[in-house]
Amino acid sequence: MNMFLFAELTVPDPNVSVILPEMIVAVAGVIVMLYDSFFPKQRAVSGAIAMIGLVLSGIVLATMWGGNYPATSWNGMIAHDNLRLSFSFVFLFVSAMTVLISTVWVERENVPAGEYHALLLFATFGMMMMSAGNDLVIIFLGLETLSIATYVMAGLRRGDLKSNESSMKYFILGSFASAFLLYGMALIYGATGSTNLTEIAGKIAAPNFPVNFPALLLAGGAMMVIGFGFKIAMAPFHIWTPDVYEGAPTPVTAFMAAGPKAAAFASFLRVFVLGLPLVAGVQASGYLHESWTTALAVMAMVTIIVGNVAAIMQDNVKRMLAYSSIAHAGYALVGFIGAGMAKTDQARDEAIASVAFYMLTYAVTNMGAFAIVTLLSQKNDRRTQFEDYNGIGFKSPVLAFSLSLFMLSLLGLPLTAGFMGKILVFSSALGSANALVTSLVVVAVIGSAISAYYYLRLIVVMFFRERTTEWIAPKITTAIGAVLVIAVIGVFYLGLFSDGLIQRFSRPGAAAIVRAEK
Amino acid sequence: MDFLNDNLLTILILLPVVGAVLTLVHQAFWKQESQLKWVTLGFTVLNFVVSLALFSKSAVAGASGFFFEKNVPWINAIGTNYHIGVDGLSFWLVILTTFIMPIAVLSTWHAVEKKATAFYVFLLLLESAMIGVFVSLDLLVFYLFFEASLIPMFFLIGVWGGENRIYAAVKFFIFTALGSLLMLVAIIGLYFIYADQTGLGGSFDFVAILNAMKAGNLILPAQTGMLLFAAFAIAFAIKVPLFPFHTWLPDAHTEAPTAGSVILAAVLLKMGTYGLMRFNFALFPDQSRETAWIFITLAIIGIIYGALVAMVQPDVKRLVAYSSVAHMGFVILGMFSFTEMGMQGAVYQMLNHGVSTGALFLLVGFIYERRHTRQIKDFGGLANVMPLYATLFIFTVLSSVGLPFLNGFVGEFLIMVGMFQSQVLSVTSTVNWNYVVTMIAGTGVIFAAVYLLWMVQRVFFGKVTSEKNRSLADLNWREIGLLAPLLFLMIYMGVYPKPFLDKTESVVKGLQERVMHQAGGTIEKTELKPVSADAEHK
Repeated sequence: MNMFLFAELTVPDPNVSVILPEMIVAVAGVIVMLYDSFFPKQRAVSGAIAMIGLVLSGIVLATMWGGNYPATSWNGMIAHDNLRLSFSFVFLFVSAMTVLISTVWVERENVPAGEYHALLLFATFGMMMMSAGNDLVIIFLGLETLSIATYVMAGLRRGDLKSNESSMKYFILGSFASAFLLYGMALIYGATGSTNLTEIAGKIAAPNFPVNFPALLLAGGAMMVIGFGFKIAMAPFHIWTPDVYEGAPTPVTAFMAAGPKAAAFASFLRVFVLGLPLVAGVQASGYLHESWTTALAVMAMVTIIVGNVAAIMQDNVKRMLAYSSIAHAGYALVGFIGAGMAKTDQARDEAIASVAFYMLTYAVTNMGAFAIVTLLSQKNDRRTQFEDYNGIGFKSPVLAFSLSLFMLSLLGLPLTAGFMGKILVFSSALGSANALVTSLVVVAVIGSAISAYYYLRLIVVMFFRERTTEWIAPKITTAIGAVLVIAVIGVFYLGLFSDGLIQRFSRPGAAAIVRAEK
Repeated sequence: MDFLNDNLLTILILLPVVGAVLTLVHQAFWKQESQLKWVTLGFTVLNFVVSLALFSKSAVAGASGFFFEKNVPWINAIGTNYHIGVDGLSFWLVILTTFIMPIAVLSTWHAVEKKATAFYVFLLLLESAMIGVFVSLDLLVFYLFFEASLIPMFFLIGVWGGENRIYAAVKFFIFTALGSLLMLVAIIGLYFIYADQTGLGGSFDFVAILNAMKAGNLILPAQTGMLLFAAFAIAFAIKVPLFPFHTWLPDAHTEAPTAGSVILAAVLLKMGTYGLMRFNFALFPDQSRETAWIFITLAIIGIIYGALVAMVQPDVKRLVAYSSVAHMGFVILGMFSFTEMGMQGAVYQMLNHGVSTGALFLLVGFIYERRHTRQIKDFGGLANVMPLYATLFIFTVLSSVGLPFLNGFVGEFLIMVGMFQSQVLSVTSTVNWNYVVTMIAGTGVIFAAVYLLWMVQRVFFGKVTSEKNRSLADLNWREIGLLAPLLFLMIYMGVYPKPFLDKTESVVKGLQERVMHQAGGTIEKTELKPVSADAEHK
C-alpha cells in the first residue's frame, strides 16, 4: 500500500497539451501584467495582448475537439470531455467580447487597463479550470481564482460609491458562499474518502457503500448546492445579484452575467450529474439524487418566478437585465435537472450539451445587449434608466434595432438564439418524463410569457415613444461595432443553423465523423 | 421546372426577405427613402407573379397529399425538419397573401412619410412570415413563423399607428404570444408522445404524426388529448379572434396604419382559422367533434355581439373592426358544423373576408388620408362630393353584407346551409339546436346589413353637413387601381365560385370524414336526415 502511494506521488501524470488552452490564457495574463508594469497606460496594447491570448487559446481549444486525448490526466484531476470543451468555448467567447466592450469604458473612465485585462484573463483561467477540474480541489481553486479577480473588477470604478458597494457586497457574500462550498467538499471527502470526482462516483456506485454515510453525503451535497447556487444566482441565493450587477461597471456586469455564471454551471454539472450519479440499487445514491433533484427543481421554479416578476418592476435597464439573468439561470437549471434525471448516458450528455448551448446563446445575446448599454450609459453609468432610452429608436436605428433583437432573443422568440436554447433545455428536461420536471417546464414557459412584458418595454420605449429632450447618438466605435456584428450574426446563426454546433457540444467524435464522411 | 417545383415555396418565403435586405442596402447607400416604395412594390408584385406558378398543372402531390413539398433536416438534435408544402386548404391563403401585399404597399403610397425604410422592411418581413405559416408542415417550423409574424405587426402598429398605438401594440403582442406559448408546450408534448408510442424518436412533423394517428400507432389518452387540443385551440381562437378573446382586435385594427389593418384583416386573422382546420381538426378529430358545441356557441355570440357593438361605434374603422369579429364568427360556425358544405363555406368565407374587409379598410384609409378623421359624425353627404368613392364604398359594403351575386353571399349561404344539416349538435324531440343556431346566425346577417347600411347612410347620404368636406377630392387613379382587383374578385367570386371551391374540396372532405366518421370513433349524436338543399345547390 505504501509502495503504491509512493509510486503515485513520484510519477505524476503531466500532460501539458491537455491544459494548453488554460496555460495560454494564464501566460497572456502574466504578460499583460508585466508589460503594464514597464509600460503603463498603454490600453490598446494590453487589450490586444489579451485578445491574442484568448483567440489563440480558442484556436487550440478548437483543435482539441474530437482529438485523441485521455479522458482524464494529471492524476485524474483534469477531465477532457464535452462539458469542458463546450463550456471553455463559452468562457473564451465571453472574455473576448468583454475585452471589446470594455474599450469604450476603459477610455471613458480612465481605468488602469493593464490591471483590468490581467484580471480578466486570470478570471478566464479560473473559469476554464472550473470546467476542466475533475477534482473538488481543482474546482475550488478555479472558483477562487475567478472570484477574487471578479471582486476586484466589480470595484474598478473606485470613485463611485455604487461600484464600491457592489464590490464589497460581492466579496463578503461571495466569500461566505465559498466557505459553504468548501465545507460541502470537505463533508463529501469525509463520506467518500476522495476528492476526485471519478473516484467519488465509483465509491458511491460500489454496492458495499456504507449505509451510515448518507448523512455526511447529504449534508455535503446541500452545502455545495448553496455554494454553487450563490454563484449561479439561484433563488433564494440571488439577493446579491441586482445590487452587484447595477453597481459594477457595465462591461464587468456583462462579463459576470455570462461568464462566471456559466463556469459555476459547468462545475455544478460536473459535481452533481457526473460526480454524484444515481446508481441503481445503491440506497445512498438514491437518497442523494432524489434530494438534490427535488431541491433544485423547486428552487429553479422559484428562481424563474422571482427573476421574472422582479424584473417587471425595474426602472433601471441594468437592474432589469440583472433580474432577467436570474430568470435565465432558472431556465438553464431546467436543462440541468433534465441532465440529472436523464435515463441514459446519451440523454444525459445531450442534456449537459443543452445547458452549455443555452449558456452560449445567453452569452451571445447578453454580450450584445450590454455592449449597447455600455455605449449608451456615458460616464459613471448615468444613462441606464428606461427613460433614458425614450425615443432613440429612429435616432440611432442600428443600436436600437440590435438591442431589440437581443431583447427578443432573451424573450426566446423563434429565429433567434434564445428560442433554440430554450427549446433544447426544455425538451431535454421533458425527455425525463417526470411529473415534477414537467411542471417545472410549464412554470418556465409561463415565466417566458411574463418576461415578454419587460423585454418589450424596452422596445416600446425606444421606438414607440417620442424623445422630449436632446439626444445625440453615440459614435459606434470599431470594437463595439465588431461586438454588435458578432452578436447579431450569432443570434441568427444559433437560432437558425445551430445543428452542427449542438452536435459538436453533445458528441465529441461527431464532428470528426462528419468530416470523414465528406 | 424541377428546380421550381422543389423550391417554389422556399422562394416565396425568401423573396420578401431578399427584398427587405435590398431595401436596407439601398437606404444605406443611396438614402433615397422615396424610392423604397418602388423596391417594395416590385418585390411584392414579383412574389405574387411567382406565386401564380402554384397553379401549375404539372405539379404532383407527394405521398402526403401536399404539393411543392420540401422536407430537409433542420436541427437534428431535436428532430425538426424544414418541411413545407401546400394543399387545397393553404393554396388560396398563400395566393391571398401574395395578392393582398402589393395592394397594401400601394395603399400607403403617400401615407408613410416618417421612417419609411423600417416600414417597408417590416411589411416585407411580415409577408415572409405569413407565407411561412400557411406552408409549414413541421409543427416547430409552423410555431416559428406564427411567432415571427408577430414582430413586424407589433412594430407596424406601435410606430406607425394612431394615438393609442402603444396600448394596442402591446395588447396585440401579449394576447397572441400567450396563446402561442401554450401551443408550444403542446407541440413539445406531442413530440414526446410520438416518441413514446411509436418508438421512432420524437418528431415535430405534422404529416408523420398524422400518419401515425391514422395508422393507430399513436393514440392520445383522452385527458392528454383534450389538454393538447385546448392548447392549440386557445392559441388559434385568440388569433381568429373568437369571442371572448377578441378584445385585442378592435384596438389593433383601429390603431394600425391602413396597410397594417388590411393585412391584419385579410391574412393574419386567417392564421387562426387555418390553424384550427389544419391542426386541431386533423390531429384531434374526436376532441374537435366533442367540443364543437362550445365553438358554435362562442361563434354565434361573436356574430351577434360583434354586430351589436359595431352598430354603436362612432368610428368607421372601429365599426369595420367589430364587423370582422362577426364575420370571423361565421367562419368558425361553418368550420365546426362539420358538414362538407359548411366547411367549404368557411374556407370560402375566409377568402371573402380578406377581400371585402380588406377593401373596406382601404376605403376607410382613403378618407382618413383626406380628412384625418374617421368619426361618422364628421361626415355626411359625401356622395355629393365624392360620387365615385361613394359608389365603390357601397359596392364593398354590399359584398360584406352578403348581397347575392357578390362574394359574401356564397360563403354565408354555404355556412348556413351547412350548419342547418350539421350533426354535431343534439336534436331532441322539442328542440333542434341546428335550426336554432342557424336562425340566430341568420339574424346576424340582418344585423350586418343594419350596421353597415346605417353607417353608409350617415356618411354618404343627405346634405353635406361639414364645410370641410366640400372640397374633398374624389378617388385618384392609384386608388381606383388598387381597388379594382378587389372589386373584380368580389363579383367573380360571387358569380363563379367553382374554381375556388374545387381546389379546396378534397381537403375539406378529408377533414370532414376524419372528424365525423373516424374508424372506431363513436358518433352518438342522433342521425339527422340531411335536408336536401344539398342537391339543388350542386
